[in-house]
Amino acid sequence: MSDVRTFLIEPFDIMLHATEEGVQSLQARFSTWLRTLNTPARFACWQMPATLDEKINTLSRTAKETDDPQRAQLLMEYRRHYEQLDDSAEYQRALCGMAVWSDQNARALAGGMGSSFDTSVVEGTWPALFNGRYEIRDTPFWHLAPVGRPGGRPLWAILNSYEFAPATWNFFRPLPPLLRLNFPLALVVDIPKTYERNSAIDALEGIIQAYDVHLSSVSGEDSRSVQRITDCRKALQEINAGDALHLVQLSIAIAADDLDTLKERVQAVVHETKAWFFLRHEVGELLARSLGFFAARRTKEIGLPDTTWPVVSRELALMLSPLGYRKLSATDGVLRGEAVGASYPVFHNSWRDKRATHEIWVGTSGFGKTFANNCYLTREYAENGIPFDLLEPMGHGRHIAEAFGLPWYVMSAKATRLNPQDVMFPTLIEQVSHTTRIYETVLGRPLSGGQRQNLERGLLGEALEVLYRGFTDLSKVTPDVTPTCDVVCDVLSGLGDKQATKAIAKDLADEIAGLCTGSGPWSSFLNGITNVDLTRGGRDWISPRVFSFHELESDPILQALAYTQVLSAIRRDSLIDEQPRIIAVDEVYRLMRHPSLLDFLIEAAKTFRTRRKKLVSIDQNMSVFLEPKARMIFENSPIRVIFSQRQGMNVFREDAAFQHLNQQHRDIIAALPRFHFLLDIAGESLFYLVNRPSPGELARFSTT
Amino acid sequence: MAADFKSHVLLRDEKGLFGIPFKRLLLAGVGGGMTYTIFNLAVPGWSIPVAVVTGLLTIILTGLRGGIPLWQRLIYRLRGTLLLIAARYPRSPIGQLTATLELPVDLVRLDGARVFAPPSPNLDVDLREWITFAHAQETDGLVFVDAPLKEVLDE
Repeated sequence: MSDVRTFLIEPFDIMLHATEEGVQSLQARFSTWLRTLNTPARFACWQMPATLDEKINTLSRTAKETDDPQRAQLLMEYRRHYEQLDDSAEYQRALCGMAVWSDQNARALAGGMGSSFDTSVVEGTWPALFNGRYEIRDTPFWHLAPVGRPGGRPLWAILNSYEFAPATWNFFRPLPPLLRLNFPLALVVDIPKTYERNSAIDALEGIIQAYDVHLSSVSGEDSRSVQRITDCRKALQEINAGDALHLVQLSIAIAADDLDTLKERVQAVVHETKAWFFLRHEVGELLARSLGFFAARRTKEIGLPDTTWPVVSRELALMLSPLGYRKLSATDGVLRGEAVGASYPVFHNSWRDKRATHEIWVGTSGFGKTFANNCYLTREYAENGIPFDLLEPMGHGRHIAEAFGLPWYVMSAKATRLNPQDVMFPTLIEQVSHTTRIYETVLGRPLSGGQRQNLERGLLGEALEVLYRGFTDLSKVTPDVTPTCDVVCDVLSGLGDKQATKAIAKDLADEIAGLCTGSGPWSSFLNGITNVDLTRGGRDWISPRVFSFHELESDPILQALAYTQVLSAIRRDSLIDEQPRIIAVDEVYRLMRHPSLLDFLIEAAKTFRTRRKKLVSIDQNMSVFLEPKARMIFENSPIRVIFSQRQGMNVFREDAAFQHLNQQHRDIIAALPRFHFLLDIAGESLFYLVNRPSPGELARFSTT
Repeated sequence: MAADFKSHVLLRDEKGLFGIPFKRLLLAGVGGGMTYTIFNLAVPGWSIPVAVVTGLLTIILTGLRGGIPLWQRLIYRLRGTLLLIAARYPRSPIGQLTATLELPVDLVRLDGARVFAPPSPNLDVDLREWITFAHAQETDGLVFVDAPLKEVLDE
């Protein structure tokens, strides 16, 4: 006799399949798995009402513990927001499970179910329907009551199905409405037997033959017999098309705190389902035996009178519909949005791993990604105390800077000065290489690839080395003592040991000086002491920072220089410690226009995560991240937040990275309304969410 | 996508009279006939009424209530009542009768820990089940550490 294997299944969101083709494909996949069943199996779904109390308590506790008054205020705002959500909604927590009596390897079974149901399936023990000791009571009606101190333990009643009406089932009726009833219940679909194909055909043909004989001897009308023959023939047709014939029974356990409520709930469930199937309220010994359905006990051992119903795989697939009703999950992490349709808040903790988990956000302009990003950064800062660096080219960083009372670093051609020689790297070689890259950007040509260019690179490097060697410890070089561009040019112009190299050094110095000093086009921006505080300044913790590049819009070179210096400073600070931090870069494509900046971003994506720095790369089109080199960023970012992608849907169809998305997912992406998005967490889940901001967020960021 | 559920395609339920399936009428007829035959030998005057009553009772008791024949449902209810009395008053005559009939009195008092005990509480590690993970994760037992771990024995 085979052992039972129990599995826990993560429910998915049916809204991601809610079209005719979507549910058809879902039914086909479920049916395919059911067709392969040749042993008893049982599907179960447990549902409990849930609240956000745990989240609210956590926020209250954090608000009391934090020394930062601004965080405390934000936390209290969020607490009020969650209290409002909790008051205005009825949340449930749901868990699904499957038991299979099979000799197969459990992991293979879980894998098979996982691919058929397209959700996470793990081997695990089923939760107990109740804890402690219970007894059967017969007055005023048969039920199970806790023995001793109830201690919040409810009363239970069990209903078993005994007849299925000739009605239409789909993924939305009749089981999902049961799961919307806001009380604790557990639902079991018991499949004690799956007929072997030939046995099923023989059995059905036998019934047809018997009814044919009966009808031939009946003089009057016998519509039920005619219908039975039609049903048998239809079942035969479906079995011949590949379906299996299963015997099925539904069992529903209902809980309540008092007898009146229990009775009312039993009636509500019976009433809700009577158009599709009839339920029997179990009495006496049958009540106790029925508990076996919820304990993965073999149907024969439960020993209930046989009231199973024969259904084919495509019908049985619809009984697994509770799998498509994901409910409130853990409240660990920050709010990422509200599930579309089911309207439960989705929290996700992307800091569970020791390393940071990078994110990619894409979406057409005006569909709410900047607003959502501001909300996300605020939530992470308020709830987890995680600071951030926001780099954005549009000027909307002002809102978040104002909300937090932060200095707003606006990179401006007129007012900002960023010294290329500022120390951003811990070693001399890296620092010289970095500064050389900046000069390459200024010069608009690479200092490599030809004899003269190589000599130029060598000479510039030598000049920089001469200057940096004057400092004993690079990490202690402050902006006020850092050599400026004119000093570099002076030193460079005097280098060279031969006449030819002297001439090259002088020419290069003149070229750089012409651009970066005196009245050169970038002299005011580059030649002088940096006036933006990019230093760590001996701080253990750097507060959130907002860098806006909108005033450099007209000059891509200046923009590249500014990005390079700011990103280098962030990189330098990021690698020093393992404090979590978020680095959000909006309009990433602007960086990608400069190969050196793209290299930097790729390196950041690879190295930041080990230092617990989350990189959030934001752009309008996913295709930007799928270009050969930029793909490295994509592959290092397991969380993808996808807003409307009307333009550029081809990548979701063609790229192998999106093979897990079906046509329905793609249709949703193409038609996402404002503030709606897909949260795709690689290897975990896919959510269809809408950003429901708190009143505080709305007040702060509504203008974005 | 939807599916229209069918009637019970494995059940023969041919039409009878007055909404009663033919097989129940047949059983009632056979039951009544047998009763008539037996009673006709012993008490001929009572044979017809007893046969009629037997036939009627057969029809009534084989009627389905909640998918279960009434006689079976009544028996389960009776057994349940007996079990409850036996559990409350084990020394009573009914308690002793229940013990004699070996009815499962333990079904009245249920312990959640026992009823819902996992089928295999200690999952034995089957070496044949080792698989290669595509990604090393902490849950797989692999943990990335910053520095080599010190040997405990050396300390």
